[in-house]
Amino acid sequence: MKHFLSLASVCLGLAASTQAQNGLRDIPDTNPQAQLDAFTPIEGASINLFAFEPAVANPVHMNWDKQGRLWVVSSPLYPQIRPGEPETDKIVILEDEDGDGVAEKHTVFADDLHIPTAILPVDGGAYVANSIEVLFLRDTDGDDIADAREVVLSGFGTEDTHHLVHTFKMGPEGMVWLNQSIYIHTHLETPYGIRRLLGGGMWHFRPETQRAEVFMKGLVNPWGHAFDDWGQSFMTDGAGSNGINFVFPRSVFASSPKAARILPGLNPGQPKHCGLEVLNGRHLPDELQGVLAAPDFRGSRINLFKLSDSGSAYISSQIDDLVSSKHRAFRPIDIKMGPDGALYVADWYNPIIQHGEVDFRDPRRDHKHGRIWRITFDGRELVKFPDLPSLSDEALVAELNSPEGLTRQLATVELRSRDKEKLGPALVKATAPKGVDPDLFELRRIWAQQALNENDFPNIAELVGSKNHKARAGALRALYYNAATYPEAFEIASSAVGDPHPQVRLWAVSVLAQLSNPDTVKTALRALEGVEVDEFLDFALWSICREHANRWEGQTESGNPFDTIPQLLFAARAVNKPVGIPVILDALKAGQLKTDEEVAEVTDFISKVGSADDLNAIFEYALAEGTPVAHQHRVLIDLGNAGKLRKLKPSGDTNRISRFLESDNNTIFSSAAVLGGQWDIPSAQKILEAAFLGLESNPKRAKAASDGLISLGKTSGPFFDKIIRDKEASFQARSNAAVGRIKISPIHGASLSIAVLNASPDGKDPHGIYDAILSNKTASDSFAEVLKKTKLKKPIALTGIQKASSAATRPENVITGLQTAGDIQPMKMALSPEEMEAMMQLVADEGDPHHGEEIYRRAQLQCLVCHAIGGAGGVIGPDLVSIGSSAPVDYLVDSLLQPSVKIKEGYHTTLVTLKNGDAVAGAIAREDANEIVIRDAAGNENRIPKSEVASNNISPVSLMPPGLTASLREDEFVDLVRFLSELGKEGDFKTPSNRYIRNWQFLQPHDRIRDAIGHYGNAIFAEDLETYAWMPALARVAGDIPLTEAPDLDGRRNDRHAAARTFIEVADAGEIRIKVSGEFKDLALFHGEKEVPLPDDAIETEITLVVKSPGKQKLTLAGLKNFGLDGVSVELLDDASVTQLVELKDF
Amino acid sequence: MKLPMLIAALSVAASSLFADPFFQSNDRIAIIGNTVVERSRLYGHVETALQVAAGPEAQNLVFRNLGWSADSVFGDSRSYFGPPQEGRDRLDTNLGEIKPTIVFLVYGTGAAMSVNQGWTLENGADAESANGLDSSKALFAEGYQALVDRVKAAAGNDLRTLVFVAPPPLENLGEPLPDQAENNQRLAAFRDVIRERSEKNGGIFVDLFAALGGDDFNGEVATHPLTNNGVHYTEAGYRVIARELVKGLGYDESIVSDPDEGALTELRNQVVEKNRLFFNRWRPANETYLFLFRAHEQGQNAKEIPMFDPMIEKEEAKIAQLRKQVLAGGTAE
Repeated sequence: MKHFLSLASVCLGLAASTQAQNGLRDIPDTNPQAQLDAFTPIEGASINLFAFEPAVANPVHMNWDKQGRLWVVSSPLYPQIRPGEPETDKIVILEDEDGDGVAEKHTVFADDLHIPTAILPVDGGAYVANSIEVLFLRDTDGDDIADAREVVLSGFGTEDTHHLVHTFKMGPEGMVWLNQSIYIHTHLETPYGIRRLLGGGMWHFRPETQRAEVFMKGLVNPWGHAFDDWGQSFMTDGAGSNGINFVFPRSVFASSPKAARILPGLNPGQPKHCGLEVLNGRHLPDELQGVLAAPDFRGSRINLFKLSDSGSAYISSQIDDLVSSKHRAFRPIDIKMGPDGALYVADWYNPIIQHGEVDFRDPRRDHKHGRIWRITFDGRELVKFPDLPSLSDEALVAELNSPEGLTRQLATVELRSRDKEKLGPALVKATAPKGVDPDLFELRRIWAQQALNENDFPNIAELVGSKNHKARAGALRALYYNAATYPEAFEIASSAVGDPHPQVRLWAVSVLAQLSNPDTVKTALRALEGVEVDEFLDFALWSICREHANRWEGQTESGNPFDTIPQLLFAARAVNKPVGIPVILDALKAGQLKTDEEVAEVTDFISKVGSADDLNAIFEYALAEGTPVAHQHRVLIDLGNAGKLRKLKPSGDTNRISRFLESDNNTIFSSAAVLGGQWDIPSAQKILEAAFLGLESNPKRAKAASDGLISLGKTSGPFFDKIIRDKEASFQARSNAAVGRIKISPIHGASLSIAVLNASPDGKDPHGIYDAILSNKTASDSFAEVLKKTKLKKPIALTGIQKASSAATRPENVITGLQTAGDIQPMKMALSPEEMEAMMQLVADEGDPHHGEEIYRRAQLQCLVCHAIGGAGGVIGPDLVSIGSSAPVDYLVDSLLQPSVKIKEGYHTTLVTLKNGDAVAGAIAREDANEIVIRDAAGNENRIPKSEVASNNISPVSLMPPGLTASLREDEFVDLVRFLSELGKEGDFKTPSNRYIRNWQFLQPHDRIRDAIGHYGNAIFAEDLETYAWMPALARVAGDIPLTEAPDLDGRRNDRHAAARTFIEVADAGEIRIKVSGEFKDLALFHGEKEVPLPDDAIETEITLVVKSPGKQKLTLAGLKNFGLDGVSVELLDDASVTQLVELKDF
Repeated sequence: MKLPMLIAALSVAASSLFADPFFQSNDRIAIIGNTVVERSRLYGHVETALQVAAGPEAQNLVFRNLGWSADSVFGDSRSYFGPPQEGRDRLDTNLGEIKPTIVFLVYGTGAAMSVNQGWTLENGADAESANGLDSSKALFAEGYQALVDRVKAAAGNDLRTLVFVAPPPLENLGEPLPDQAENNQRLAAFRDVIRERSEKNGGIFVDLFAALGGDDFNGEVATHPLTNNGVHYTEAGYRVIARELVKGLGYDESIVSDPDEGALTELRNQVVEKNRLFFNRWRPANETYLFLFRAHEQGQNAKEIPMFDPMIEKEEAKIAQLRKQVLAGGTAE
């Protein structure tokens, strides 16, 4: 067997001399000119160096002061102070006194900091994040050197130094906003009591009142926060991969500990970012106005996103990058509009990012360099920044409506230093300047008052009546913070929950959540009526139902406290407690809750919190005359869930399930089979055994029967034994029986399973015998014992070793047992430093990334199943979109060979061990008081009752199985690594920002094609034929779908056809535009079932499709493979109203 | 020149109000508590004052500040990824390593300020902690006693004395900062719980609440505030705390000069530097990678953490030296 590890011995010789320099040759040229040469800016933009080392080294965060000077914190100490090392990290003030775009002056404001991660120069000093503390530093004698130091907030966690409190920002309302990341556990003592935030999230803090409150929770590394023109908050995440996130009060996002529910970001599968800025001002071209700029520090580029309204939230679409770089140490981690209207980018400058995967003391870390770049637009005038401190109150107030966002922001900062008594009248007198939306002007006035810690509530109330929904939402947000102090707030919010715009409703609900009125929930729930309730509004409602549960739960005892029964169902499901059940069940019986969705909600709810009587009630609903099959199915599924999770069954006669066991409907039978077993229905045994034996004719039924027999327990034992021992039975039947036996009696089953494993025709275990063994400690221990005195065939033993090595429990006794029983030498999975050096050389010299991509896409490697590249692919592992530009080659090699050595944050496996010894591993999808939901490597969700959990640990084992690449030849492995190392770098493997359709399905061979193609041509592929089987397929990194990889569809004579289809969602009727590229000669395109002509001789064409009925649109590509058909790309040219459906990516 | 007066006072200090002097040579003193303890490490006044007050008879005093912002008697703030139990386990480990002879406990501020809101995430106790003063007090007493029992068990056989410190009062600094009148009343009630625990456990009770005027608080805005937000003491505030603590332990408070200078200032700076090193020793950054669930990735760097120990010892030696100079009435040459 020749796998690539044998190459280690080949290359040993040439490696020895360079060992000490392992990887160091990868250090990029530190000359700023080398970086300048490597930039590719957006059209019309130029880049110059504003500041660099030694003035700034490793800049982490920056903000402008009101004099237009740039304050930068930098941390050469990162990632960890050495024992005895002094705290010497700095704050530097950079000044461009002559306005030439270069900072000629720098002043060290402070040089005694410990990994400072944020800076905000306001209020006569500077707030700085200093590990566990937020400090306020001041210069009291005018030399621009801090000489007074005060701890403002303390108790931020330091569990991870790239998670420390960060991303300070002064909001338009004059509060300080601050973020923290996933591993940080913060405990603040404030004058208003203790505030704790465990995990990631965002705080706001008002200096005057010293009030600090949590605004939202979650996100892995929320390193960016920006307010749009109307004051809505958007955040980026340096490790999650959702691009832009729309956040609002009490919203919860991925990775928040113990979250019962989380919200998605706006760009699933997009790169990870550090920093966020809204582009605006007169210097920037029109097409960039309002665009969000987010530095992708992994990919050494800055992404741009355009927002458009969608329900209560937004759609975010990526457009061309602002700038990208081929220089591997260009690490843009902050971007800010500058006082001259140009853009400023903090470049942390480091070939190595992060310290989780790469050693704290890796010599390749840069501790010396740092750059601030300035981006200007050719032929566009710069902006003159006003001397804010010298302006009169009136002139200062006028700057609150400057076309430049930064000027407005800094005018707010200056405002805070003025005499309130004099400034107040100036604010009141101000009128909207020409060209400024009067409602926006009012909102800014409200913010200015808040910046002075005053609330003009009547004015806010008036703005809630604006015609512009953004003004209404903005006004409600302004009301939100101090709503509890304004008696009219409840009335305002009550009327706004019925607003025609969902985002206004979202804010109305958020305001209600701040109030103590007993009717907040009853009022909020009215937001469910009359608009389409999207996920964000739904979340806000769910949240208030829970937070204010004690205001309404008691009232359910005497009926429905809300306007409608669906509202009651919503609230009851939100708290997930047995409240309102009689009313809900009566409504179900009376047919008042009758849509499929409502019924599913009722049965799910009852299964989670209902009593045995309540379960009986839904059981009887299923049994009742005229109940639709779909509803019966929901009832049976949820009765099964109640049995599994709560050991509860209907109080009435359970034998009535036999009616469903006799059903011809597979789905009904399947769910009934489980119940027959769970409820110990004697008559079920024979029916289930018969179905089990009908494996060939009806595999789905057989699988369900198997589950049912397992639930029946011991009485199924002899039946399983008989099948296991029956050498005539099929491998699948014997496997299923073995799995069943293991589940019923782990010791006996594990011992019997050896014979079945040895009968595997190809050395694989497709029916999960190993999984069954490995998921239970008793079974795996006794299996390990049996292995000591028996033999296993080598291939099936290897399969077992691979599975056992990636099991979260990683049972060593099973692994050694399999090695002995299969006579296998332990596989060497690690490279020595010399071998690694040789490998890196080989990757650099000989790796072919194009061939590597082909290898990556091979089904047997399963890369695509778990990993996405730019959002296309599996979601189990990290998105690899920019892995090449962020991870060193040795890291990639290690990760392929020993996946468990480095595990990306957010991708750790949780291992839940149950009291019966079963082990369930995966990621925690969500949890509540009663259950914990684990998502396993295959993406399945596993609901586990908390009462059965024995332990719950973070497993040190990666979900990625080791040895996946063991089948590769050395050259293939080298090509694969080279491909991965190119991902995200400038070149062929940087995922383009074009909106290529990436999720496709390939048609599988079908009997009909040979005959029908002659009569009807390619049109047959566009038909909705139920017996067609379509398998998911993904576009390449470049965006094209390789039709060459589609299965051969045999046509007449030697013709080999290929067909791929995809779906897009179109919001409105009308025209949409797409661009198709590829060889058109043997290709046909269909929109629905209608052919769209492609020009014969072109390789690229723009097409307008007419959409009559909005919604899901099917596009089909069909072609003849015989004459070199290759990749075809289809790009969406319209904005966000057209989206591709991503659920196609389910494998 | 304050120093001569200070030294004069020392002869009095050596004979404290207690039968035996409070501090003895080679005492290891652990201070546990919440924000007021954690922040005291930055200024060094409390430790410096105690070092000097102990007098020449008690040599080689080692102080370990184990304060943690917003900590509760259940150890809430000390846990990272787990429940408060993890925080209590961490405290056990810390005390087990320090083997203190004296432990100061400073808790109560967070609970007092938690009106209609919880102050602990301890399983089952969260609601109780939010449920009115009586309920909150009962829970505090229960948690405090459990903490005392735990400290006794974890500290080991060398433990001689527990000091039950009632936290200093809150101040009113005027609008727009909140009125702390109710919180101070509540804190007085928690002070009573602490005193009761002290009596029950044979400890020494120091009432900083009363000493800094908590009982006389009439809701007026402070004219010479000792806090920067009504809750958190400024450097000047810590000088007062230090003085009152010295006094509360039966030593003569006049040794705490204001401001310090000469060798005394040097001693205090040395204390601050030692505290800085110790902080990075017992609460190092990046614990996730050094010791917790990502230790398999970066655990190799955990070897750096014990390297702080000899450095801290060196600092202690310098502290002992400077302390001698101060007590001998000399200045640092």
